[in-house]
Amino acid sequence: MPNSFKMDNIPFSLLTDAEQTLLRANLDIGYFQKGEKVITAGEVPDGVYVILKGCVSESEAIEAGVEAPQQVFVQYQNEDYFGGWSALRGKAIHNFVAEEETICHILPTRTLLDLIASNAQFADYFQQNLAVKREIVAQHGSNQDMAEFMLAKITAAAVRDPLIVEQGTSIRDATELMRTHKADCVLARKGGRLGMVTGTDLLDAVVLKQLPLETDVSDIASYRLVTIDHQDYLFNALVMMTQQQIERVVVMAGDEMVGVVELTDVLSYFSSHSHVIGLRIERAASVDQLREAAQGLNDLIKALISSGVKIRFTMDLLAAMNGRIISKLFDLIIPADMQPHVCLIVMGSEGRAEQIMKTDQDNALIFRDNLAWPGMQATMQHFSDTLISFGFPPCPGNIMVSNPAWVNSVGDWTQRLSDWAATCEGSAQMQLAIAVDAKPVAGNEALFKVARNWFLRHLRNNDVFFSHFARAAVEFDTPLTFFGNLKDRGQLDIKKGGIFPIVHGVRTLALEHRILKTNTFQRIELLMEQGVMEEQHGKDLAEALALCIQLRLRQQILRAEEAEDGIDPTPNLIDLQQLNKLERDLLRDALHVVKGFKKHLAQRYHLGG
Amino acid sequence: MIIPRSIRRMKEKREHREGPWAHLFERYDGDEVVSLDCETTSLDVKKAEILSIGAVRVKGRKVITSERLDIKLKPPKSLSGDSIKIHKIRASDLADGIELDDALEQVLAFVGNRPILGYYVNFDIRMLDKFIRPRYGFGLPNKAIELSHVYHDIIKWKHIGGDVDLRFDTIAGKLDIPILERHTALGDAITVALMYVRLKYGVAPDISY
Repeated sequence: MPNSFKMDNIPFSLLTDAEQTLLRANLDIGYFQKGEKVITAGEVPDGVYVILKGCVSESEAIEAGVEAPQQVFVQYQNEDYFGGWSALRGKAIHNFVAEEETICHILPTRTLLDLIASNAQFADYFQQNLAVKREIVAQHGSNQDMAEFMLAKITAAAVRDPLIVEQGTSIRDATELMRTHKADCVLARKGGRLGMVTGTDLLDAVVLKQLPLETDVSDIASYRLVTIDHQDYLFNALVMMTQQQIERVVVMAGDEMVGVVELTDVLSYFSSHSHVIGLRIERAASVDQLREAAQGLNDLIKALISSGVKIRFTMDLLAAMNGRIISKLFDLIIPADMQPHVCLIVMGSEGRAEQIMKTDQDNALIFRDNLAWPGMQATMQHFSDTLISFGFPPCPGNIMVSNPAWVNSVGDWTQRLSDWAATCEGSAQMQLAIAVDAKPVAGNEALFKVARNWFLRHLRNNDVFFSHFARAAVEFDTPLTFFGNLKDRGQLDIKKGGIFPIVHGVRTLALEHRILKTNTFQRIELLMEQGVMEEQHGKDLAEALALCIQLRLRQQILRAEEAEDGIDPTPNLIDLQQLNKLERDLLRDALHVVKGFKKHLAQRYHLGG
Repeated sequence: MIIPRSIRRMKEKREHREGPWAHLFERYDGDEVVSLDCETTSLDVKKAEILSIGAVRVKGRKVITSERLDIKLKPPKSLSGDSIKIHKIRASDLADGIELDDALEQVLAFVGNRPILGYYVNFDIRMLDKFIRPRYGFGLPNKAIELSHVYHDIIKWKHIGGDVDLRFDTIAGKLDIPILERHTALGDAITVALMYVRLKYGVAPDISY
C-alpha cells in the first residue's frame, strides 16, 4: 500500500526509511464482514493485521461441544494492530472476529520476520512486555527533554570545579581568588579535611564578627559538608538542597571530591518552583504563611505533569512536600511538651506516598499509654480543620484525627489492628488496609514502630487472615473490552480496574513478607529482591501502576480545571476518548498485566471461584 | 467502420491462437480480478497519452497490494497545464519513467486473462488498446467489470425513482471506504478494489439521504 498506511504509530515509526519502504511494498488489504473471523484459533494466520477502519475483538477459542459464554478479551479499533503473537508463533490461540465491517492492512509473517531480524527495537516492541514497551515509548516520546533532565545524573555538566585553598590562606586572598575564578565559594583544606566557605561566611566573619582580613579562612569554614555521589540523580541534589536549606552540595566519586553543584545551576534546568515552595514551607512561622505555601503546590503539580516529568519522581517530590506541610503544621499546633509523647501518622495513599492531587486526608494519632492531656481532642479538631483549610479535602470515611476513633494510645491501637485482622467483615478489612500503609510524619516515631512491629509479628503465618485480606484485590473486574465501543461507554473506573488491585495485592504480599516500606513501587522492588516476585512481573506491575496513575492524573487535572469549585467530581474515571492510540495500546497492556497479577493472587491465596 | 468488440475479439483470438499471447484469450476460471487505473493527459482517447498505470489484484476478499503494478511513463509531449491540475503529475515527476513498450509488456503480464475492474473501465481499456493494438495486433480481450455498474445493480433495488449518483467520491462515501490517494493511478485502483470487495461481500449499503 503506498501511503495509506500510517507509519506514525509505534512500533512502525521505529522502522528506518528503507524498512518502511519494505513494509509498504509487502502490505495487503483485507476486507471482513461483520461477524467474520479474521483469524481463527488453531490456524496459521497470514500475518499482523492493522485496522484501517472497523473494529475487531479477540476472544478465547471455545472447544467444540462446550456451552460457555464467549469471553471477549480485547477489542481493537482503527490503527490498532493485532495478531503479532499468533504470527510469530505460527498458530493462533485466540479467535479474532470483526465486530463491524473491517478493512485491515495485512503485514505478511515473512515480512514481519524480516523486519524483526533487521530492527532490534521493532523486535523488542513486538515481542516484549509492557516495561520494555514503555521504555521504548519514553525514548521516543515528545517530552524527552524534561524526562531526560529528571533522569540526568550528576555529571560534569552541572558540576563546578572546586576552588581549593590550603590552610593559612587569608580571608583577603581567598576573596581575591573567588573574584578571579568567579566562584562564590571556596573549599579550605585543614589537615585531611575540607570545609566550605561561602560568600555569606566571609561577610559574617568580616562585618559581623569583625575578624581581621588576615584571618585564616580554614577557621571560618564549615566542615560538615553535605555530599552526594556523582552517580546520583541531579534531581536528588535538588531534593537534598530543599530539605537541608542549603545552596551547594559537594559531589563525591567514592572518597574523592569531584566538584560542587550549585542550586542556581540546578534551578536553571529545573523551571518549576519546587524549591521555592519548599523553602516557604520550611520558613513558615505561622499557620497563615504555611497555608499560602501549601496552596502553591497545585501549580507545581501541574507544571511537573505538563512538562512530562516521570510520575514516580513527581510522587516522591510531592509526598515529601505534603509530609513537610503536615509535620510543620504539627510543630505549629501541637504544644512542644506534648510532641515527644504522640506520633502523627498518615495512612492510605498519603502513607504510600502515592497521592498527587490531594484527594483526601487519612491520618491518625498514636499517643503514649497513660498520657494525660485533657485538651488533646480539641487540638486534634483544630489540626484537622486547619488541614482542610489548606486544601486537603476531608476524608469521606472520616479517618482523621478530628475523629476520636483515630486517636489512640499505643495499646488501643495495637488492639484495634488485631481486632480488624480477626474479623472477615468488609469494612474492618478496608480500615486495616488503610492502616497498614501508615507512615509516621511527625512526633515520636518510636510509638508507631512499636505498634507496627507487634502487629507484623502477630500476623506471622496467619494464612487464614491473608487469604481474607487478599480477596479484595480480585473483587472488581478488570475490563478489557471497552476499547472498541468508545461511543457507548467510553469511561473506565481506573481505580477499581487497575490501581486498586495492584496496590492491594502488593500490600498483601508486603504484609506477609514483613516489608516495612509503604510505597507500592518500593514494596514491589523489595518483593523482587526477596525473590517473592519474579523480576519481570515486578517491573511490569510497576509500569502498569505508573501508567494508570499517570493517565488518571492527567484527566484529573483537566476536570479540576473545568469544575467551578476546582475539585474533580469523578477522580477515578478515565475518559477513553481522550486517549491517543499509543496510550490506549499501553493501557490495554497494563490491564493485561493486572489481570495476570490477579490470577496469581487468586492462586497464591486460594481465592478460587 | 466500427466493429463490435466481441466480434473483434473472436477474430483476434483466432489470429493469435498459436502466438505467444494465446493465454490471454483463454477463458478465466480463477477467483481473481485486476483493478486497474490509468492517469492520462486528457479524457479524449484520441488525444490522450498515458502518464501512469496502477493495478492491484483482488483475490477473494483480499486486495493483494503487495503484488501490484505502479508504472510511471516517460513524460509525453502533450503533458500540459490542464491535466496537470487534475492529477498533479508534472513532467519532472515522470523523470525516471519507463518506456511505453516496457510498460505495456508489464501490464499484459500482470493482468493475464483475469477480468479487469475499474471505474469507467472502458476508458482505461480503450486507452491501453490504443497503444497495444499497433504493437501486438490485438486489443485487451479481458472481461471488463465496471464498478459503477456493480454499484448501480445493487443500489437500484433499494432506490426508488431518480438517478443513482455514480460519482466516484459518492460511491466511496456510501460504501464507507476510505479514499486512499485520489488521482494517483495506484491509489484509485486500490480504492476501486476495496469498493468492489465491499460490494461483492458486504451487505448492501444504505443509501437513504
